[in-house]
Amino acid sequence: MTGAEELRETIVSMSRELELLRTEAAHASTLINALDALLVVDGEDDPFAGVFSALLPVFDATWAIVLLQPNDSDDVLDCVAAKEPRLVGSRWRADARIAKVLGGRIVTTLSSSDLGSCLLSGTLPVSDDQPALYLPLGVRARRGLLILLRSENKSGFDRNHVLLARKFSLLASHALAARDANRNEAESQRLKQLTDQLTESQQALAFRANHDQLTGLPNRAYIQELVNHRLSHKSADGKLALAFIDLDEFKRVNDLHGHAVGDALLCGVADRVRSQIRATDILGRISGDEFVVVLDSFVTRQQVAGLVNRIRETLQRPFDIEGAQVKGTGSIGVAFYPTHGHDYETLRRNADAAMYRAKTADKGSIAFFSRTLGRAMSDKMRLEQRLRRAYDDRQFKSVLQARLDIHSGKVVGFETLLRWVDERKQVHKPDSFLASAGELGLLDGITAMQIDELVGSLRQLDARFGPDMIYSVNISANQASRPAFTKSIIRQIVNSGRASNFMIELTEESFLKADAFQEQILPLIRAAGIRISIDDFGIGYSSLSLLAQITADELKIDRSFISSIHNRPSNQSILRAVDSLGKAFGIDLVAEGIETQKELSYLQARTGISFGQGFLFHRPAFIDEVIASGLQFPSAGQGVLLAS
Amino acid sequence: MVALRSFVSSANDTASALSQLSDKLSAIDGRPSFVYAFYDETHDDAQIVRFLETRFSGVPVLGGTSCGGTMSQIGLGGAGSIGLLVIDDPDGDYGVGAVTLGDSPSKDAERALHAALDDAGCPGELPELIWIYQAPGQEEQVIAGLRRIVGDRCPIIGGSSADNEVAGRWRQLSPAGVMTNGLVVAVLFSSGGIGFAFQGGYEPAGASGVVTKVAYSADGGRGIVTQASGRRIVSIDGEPAAQVYNRWTGGIIKDKLSGGNILMETSMHPLGIDAGKIGEVTHYLVIHPEQVLDDGVLSTFADIEEGMSLYSMRGDKARLVDRAGKVAAAAAAALPGGTEGLAGGLVVYCAGCRIAVADQMEKVSSAVSESFNGLPFIGCFTFGEQGRVLDRNAHGNLMISAIAFGR
Repeated sequence: MTGAEELRETIVSMSRELELLRTEAAHASTLINALDALLVVDGEDDPFAGVFSALLPVFDATWAIVLLQPNDSDDVLDCVAAKEPRLVGSRWRADARIAKVLGGRIVTTLSSSDLGSCLLSGTLPVSDDQPALYLPLGVRARRGLLILLRSENKSGFDRNHVLLARKFSLLASHALAARDANRNEAESQRLKQLTDQLTESQQALAFRANHDQLTGLPNRAYIQELVNHRLSHKSADGKLALAFIDLDEFKRVNDLHGHAVGDALLCGVADRVRSQIRATDILGRISGDEFVVVLDSFVTRQQVAGLVNRIRETLQRPFDIEGAQVKGTGSIGVAFYPTHGHDYETLRRNADAAMYRAKTADKGSIAFFSRTLGRAMSDKMRLEQRLRRAYDDRQFKSVLQARLDIHSGKVVGFETLLRWVDERKQVHKPDSFLASAGELGLLDGITAMQIDELVGSLRQLDARFGPDMIYSVNISANQASRPAFTKSIIRQIVNSGRASNFMIELTEESFLKADAFQEQILPLIRAAGIRISIDDFGIGYSSLSLLAQITADELKIDRSFISSIHNRPSNQSILRAVDSLGKAFGIDLVAEGIETQKELSYLQARTGISFGQGFLFHRPAFIDEVIASGLQFPSAGQGVLLAS
Repeated sequence: MVALRSFVSSANDTASALSQLSDKLSAIDGRPSFVYAFYDETHDDAQIVRFLETRFSGVPVLGGTSCGGTMSQIGLGGAGSIGLLVIDDPDGDYGVGAVTLGDSPSKDAERALHAALDDAGCPGELPELIWIYQAPGQEEQVIAGLRRIVGDRCPIIGGSSADNEVAGRWRQLSPAGVMTNGLVVAVLFSSGGIGFAFQGGYEPAGASGVVTKVAYSADGGRGIVTQASGRRIVSIDGEPAAQVYNRWTGGIIKDKLSGGNILMETSMHPLGIDAGKIGEVTHYLVIHPEQVLDDGVLSTFADIEEGMSLYSMRGDKARLVDRAGKVAAAAAAALPGGTEGLAGGLVVYCAGCRIAVADQMEKVSSAVSESFNGLPFIGCFTFGEQGRVLDRNAHGNLMISAIAFGR
């Protein structure tokens, strides 16, 4: 299984298990309440009043009736309890459905109940068109049943209700038997055991449903319940703070030391944080490496700052786990009630945003939420929503910028750059959205879209510029570090049948960041006939040994070296050195960002650089505009604006 | 107490296959509660119907043809196999109703469901589960009709009957005999509980687009367009659908862009639609493109609506083998008492996946058998699967649908 599929399976499985646990816990709680209602009533008092009030809301039912067989008949039943008191004492016919239920089956109807036809005299005060749930009951050694009805406008009962009814039916029959045997000792003991077991089971279930199994801390759902409960009881001037702790580089701990050490670290973190908080505070684990501390309450913000700072400091000491010294620092964000929100979710979200600010600025630090941060967060969320929509609507487009021979002026290829054309046809450059798109995990799909668009336009581009153009596509260092993605891009290009017209541009960082890239991916790119370009050369982790290892087809010299080159002797020396390197390794050199004639003239006259790219020649334009435009080939030696 | 038994025989001629089954069935006494019967399309229906009527007189039976035979806990039945799943559940109720699908499949489905409930002696009652077997082509309308009665309160599980070569030779077994364009509906009120699961073995491949035009379907004989949905995708993002699909998949249908059957090529590269999320994780309903028609129209085995987002999906043999075991395990885990109370199961495995998995099909039956703890099960191979996705009943392709019976 791939990583994504495993992750999906795990998340789904855990979500389902948690949902099941919470349902089971809720069922157990309901049953206990209903049984209590049955058992606390004394003597001959109606035991069902309390049962109805416990069960009706759970089943979302509005009406209930209990029918019992009298000792002398199998075909007729007496009403012994009903939501509508005037029905008590009425007589009912046991139709086929009722007979089935008396035999022990739980039945629920598709829609209508047809109950009215069973009432032997009088009129049923409810409609026959109400969905019904029938469950068997044993009362006073007699067979009977409980019938629940929902309002006409509601949908019918479902499987979950049948399951719950099954549990209730069994326990209720035991409970009633115990009551009506005048507290017979054996029956009472058995019932008490059942109830104790149920209570224990319910408590265990509730704990499991509400707590993280590894650390024993309240889980996400429970923390939310607890906080919202506390907030609902806050006075007008009540205060509460929420601190969001995200462990730094936790994934690295798992990767380096294994999951057992990772788990031990999480438990260690939980212990240390717990040792710093007060009895009134709550600590919860809400996801993999994320914790929440609820500080309830405080007098001054300095008090909160002090406490949070102590938490930060306690986490800065390494953890001794299985003989290894493991770092467990955490970045912390804090939000205050009521200033930064009135409910758990808002406070958590704002504390999370502050944590993110802390982590970005300086890992292991603390940041407090503010209105400015809030505005930035809202803008970010709005951008993310727009980007998701843009992705679904395929609003990401490619623009092409020509690359040409700086001596002949001949166009030799194009670099593909990314633009976002939104629903108002406004064009956005990558620096306004690329980081957010990366965080949202959209970049891979966007790159695939770009290649898709380019492949789809190749025929027209060939017709315009000839079949020998080289089209380069940019891959980020992060993308290059993921073999599955890069393999899919290679496959996409190979499947176009025009791999030899493609070049992949990567920064130096890509080669240094991922061993897998050099060992696994580079050979595949080479074997596919796709060219390789090292982008922004000179400003990254430039390494001569790297150049010796990689057979790149071109080096693109960053524009910072080209800008005003004619006036910058130190850059001129660097260019000469790069020139020599290029000749030594047989790599084409491309000067990026040529914007003035003087820059061009210097490069033509004083370097061996053959190719160039920049606004002097061509501004990036959409593919259809490039195809439609009249690109002109200037005479040798002159830079000309080829297209507007 | 619920007990399941499976019986599979395999022979080229029907008489021999039924004779083998008869010998195996001699161990059963009494009258079972329900029987599933699936068989290779090469068999003679009349002999099978007579056999079932004689051997299981008065017992509700549901089944029909299955692509390439059946499988069970013993393994693949192989070509010419006939498989029976016999259910004993004296405290449960089971019933079957059948209709020939006409101009209004949704209304036909409602009739069949009421007939099944009457047959079970449970008129007006919500079943624990509805199981359907039908001719391919109208599955969404059938589900719509059934949902008008039960909503999503009851799972609707099943498959579309299949033949061996997509030649229209599929049949369905009904109380009244064999049908070629029928719907058979069974209602199950099992006393031991039933768990179910419905999953596809494919993952998103990256590319996606929006359906901009479909060839719409008419409702009923009056030819009134009810909605812009259908099984022919005309365009995606404004471009001919087949071209877009070809590009998404790196050209796997490049030789058939002017027309042709593409079932084989597309088995590992289906489409998907978003069926909802669990814990922020998207679930996909899989759609199998089957043909390229004129003007680059892509026809599929399930309905698509205009405006829907389509996702390019990918699969591989290993995943399709693993997934069968996982679906069976998920169905068993969903039993009220968990897997400890498992009595056996029934699996619907897409014939398209079967063809794609090819020589590893034995591993599929082993995987399912392992998940069902070696207990009796029958598997059939279909041209469409119905099951429950995130509390909603749906029809998909290249899916795996399983039910597990509790004791």
